[in-house]
Amino acid sequence: MVLEDIRPRGPQELRPLVRITDVSKSFGGVAALKEVSFDIRAGVVHGLIGANGAGKSTLIRALAGIGRPDSGTIEVDGQAVTIATPDDAASLGLAFIHQEMSLIPGWDVLRNMALGIPPATRLGVIDWRPTRTRAKQVASRLGIRFSLSTNVDSLSTADKWLVLIGRALMRDARLIAMDEPTASLSVEETTRLHQIVRELVSSGTAVVFVSHRLDEVSDLCDDITVFKDGAVTKRVVGERTTKAELIRAIVGRDLVILERGHEPRDHGRAILEVRGVSDPDLLRDVSLTVHAGEILGLGGLVGSGRTELAKMIYGALPKSAGEVVLDGKRTAFRQPADAVAAGIGLVPEERRSEALFLERSIDFNINIAKLDSLTPSALFPFLSLRRARQRAQKVADLVTVKASDVEALVSSLSGGNQQKVVIARWLLDKPRLLILDEPSRGVDVGARAEVHRVIRELADSGTAILAISSDNEELVALCDRVVVLAEGKITGELTGTAITEDQIISLSFARDEGKDSAA
Amino acid sequence: MSTETIALRPGTGLPRQGKPHGGRGRRLALTIVSKYGTLIAMAVMILIFGLGVPNGAFLSSNNLLAIVNQSALTAIIASGLTLVLVVGEMDLSIGYAASLAGILVTGLMANQGLPLPIAILATLLIGALIGTVNGLLVTKVGVNAVVATLGVGTVLIGLAYGYTAGSPIISVPTAFTNITLGRFLTIQNPIWIMIAILAVLWVILNRTPPGQRMQAVGANKNAAHLAGLRTDRAKITAFIIAGVCAATAGILLASLLGSGTVSAGDGYLLDSFAAVFLGAATLRDGDFHIIGTLVGVLVVNVGFNGLSLMGTPTFWQFVFKGGILVLAVALSTLARRYSKA
Repeated sequence: MVLEDIRPRGPQELRPLVRITDVSKSFGGVAALKEVSFDIRAGVVHGLIGANGAGKSTLIRALAGIGRPDSGTIEVDGQAVTIATPDDAASLGLAFIHQEMSLIPGWDVLRNMALGIPPATRLGVIDWRPTRTRAKQVASRLGIRFSLSTNVDSLSTADKWLVLIGRALMRDARLIAMDEPTASLSVEETTRLHQIVRELVSSGTAVVFVSHRLDEVSDLCDDITVFKDGAVTKRVVGERTTKAELIRAIVGRDLVILERGHEPRDHGRAILEVRGVSDPDLLRDVSLTVHAGEILGLGGLVGSGRTELAKMIYGALPKSAGEVVLDGKRTAFRQPADAVAAGIGLVPEERRSEALFLERSIDFNINIAKLDSLTPSALFPFLSLRRARQRAQKVADLVTVKASDVEALVSSLSGGNQQKVVIARWLLDKPRLLILDEPSRGVDVGARAEVHRVIRELADSGTAILAISSDNEELVALCDRVVVLAEGKITGELTGTAITEDQIISLSFARDEGKDSAA
Repeated sequence: MSTETIALRPGTGLPRQGKPHGGRGRRLALTIVSKYGTLIAMAVMILIFGLGVPNGAFLSSNNLLAIVNQSALTAIIASGLTLVLVVGEMDLSIGYAASLAGILVTGLMANQGLPLPIAILATLLIGALIGTVNGLLVTKVGVNAVVATLGVGTVLIGLAYGYTAGSPIISVPTAFTNITLGRFLTIQNPIWIMIAILAVLWVILNRTPPGQRMQAVGANKNAAHLAGLRTDRAKITAFIIAGVCAATAGILLASLLGSGTVSAGDGYLLDSFAAVFLGAATLRDGDFHIIGTLVGVLVVNVGFNGLSLMGTPTFWQFVFKGGILVLAVALSTLARRYSKA
């Protein structure tokens, strides 16, 4: 079908593209979806929100053909359909873009966009000429400025999303589902993605948008479906809604948002001093100090060098110049193990690939960094499993991990609880410094407040905290002081009541105007 | 609920949509097949051979002990290999290391005139050294483990030929051959040695910090690194243990054969890989583990022994060996997929 044929109409008039009726699914007796019904209309942005584990991903899997519902019907264009495989979904014009990027590394943009397109000639070979022409049309529609022969490895996260959207358009997708597309995008990139989403729906495509950013959802989406515990708790169809209403539907109650201390506090002595750290590509002369008991936020756009700075402090990346001083002593960490031995902990950005052993138990994941203290002595270096479990249980309770017991697999936990497990790991020995990179990414609203509470309590007990976040709301809620990086350089520092989202955003976009510009 | 994110586990590919899943009963049956399939296969074989072999010769205690005795050396070398696979690497040099160890231990006594204990100790140290070289190449230099260990293994073949000029070392002291001929409490010494080594490795892997770290490194190297584990150290340790195990098996083989022969231990490479993968399909979902490896070795040898007692031609025994490996791993993979669907 030709997308351009459909003229957008007033939101109320658009017909449902996909109708979901009484869909249920359970896993081993646990109901993940309970008689869920709603419509996805063509030509609108449809937001799916809910806490982790609320059922939105299960529903998307059902549509994508990777997890059939136990009961209920799915209609596309008024016809009841069975979506048993991803191919079925694709032939119905449903496209899915997942959190974890499904690009083929090392391939160029064109080949990635053409992936999955049925072979064009009888010999089963892709005919590249029409494919390339088509890809060019799609690229110009998406405003893609890079060449189609660019290797996707060299693209930014935002550009990778464009390629994936392009792949969906190449297949004439009528519905594109995006799972947390803006989670790792900067403000600027997010705006651009929003424009593209609006352009897509104006030409008749349905976009399903999964996000934890409620401001974004209430701004961008025409329709919103809110999930809680496998059931739909709120349906918004083409009307305005407020963030407060959405939160109420997500958590089923009014959420108490953590109050931050508005007055700059008196903090202890300096724990971490970063002096003139540089790297040819990423960082320019970065200096900052974190005090005992202080939560220092590190704001800025994705790609501004914050994660790299954290990894340099932690010994996971080399730095070309500058020094890192911990407790007054210059450090020379050759690998993270040295940093951990010195009392530093890191909660990395990518929880699943950088922090967790998914197919292992909670207690394995918590204890792994501090195993030696579980043995009676160096002469008798044997672990007591009972002590290991007890110790893990204690810290898991501190951070309120919700699980049947600590022997449960980490992969069975929701994103928020997984993040709590990573944090719990560093609570075994109170660290001197804890670095958290995007502490609440992929964490639902309720768990996020708990994560913030744990971080605050740890700071109150004297640990210095360095928190990186692209979520400015989080920086405002959590931090005593915020340092903003832009293009590898510190552009400003905010304290107490001066920490506002507007201030952080404007510093994030601050640029060097000339070589002589004073900081 | 493990289905919250759409993300698939790396390397698993798309989960197949199996047949519309049946009830709890079928799922349970599939779980049993995936976890206990290898054990069930062994039980079935024991039953068939027990009834099929004339005069109950198969089930005689002598024959059963012989099976375990035949399994002992492979089990030792395969357990060392298990640790290397646990940390997510490969070691293709173990068979050649075993051959070289057999030559060295006999040669050091025959040619260099070293006393037996010193010769054994020196050979074990060489085994550790081989493991260290493998480990350093893989971790510090960054050579792919398959290439590194294949290269090292080939060098070891060369060294073995160089040391012996190709001819076997046949003058060995009786004390040396008695190591494997002797019995303790009616059970052959190699079995005791196997039990001791496997027990030690099991404890290391499951009850000590270094073993847990090896498991962490194998499960997610990146996460282990950022959690502050010394991943290189864990890998090198695994390679060293594999080298020592290979040397131990090589020494015991030379004692059994009463000579040091070039390429005597080469066959252990394939046997131990088969055992380890058979074992990984046993009891635990695709994880490499010591008990599984032992079961893997025993399954192959039970089959071999039974088939030869029934007078089956030799080529069938190889068909059996390859077949059961592929079958067991395929079955457990399929069963796991459907039981999770």
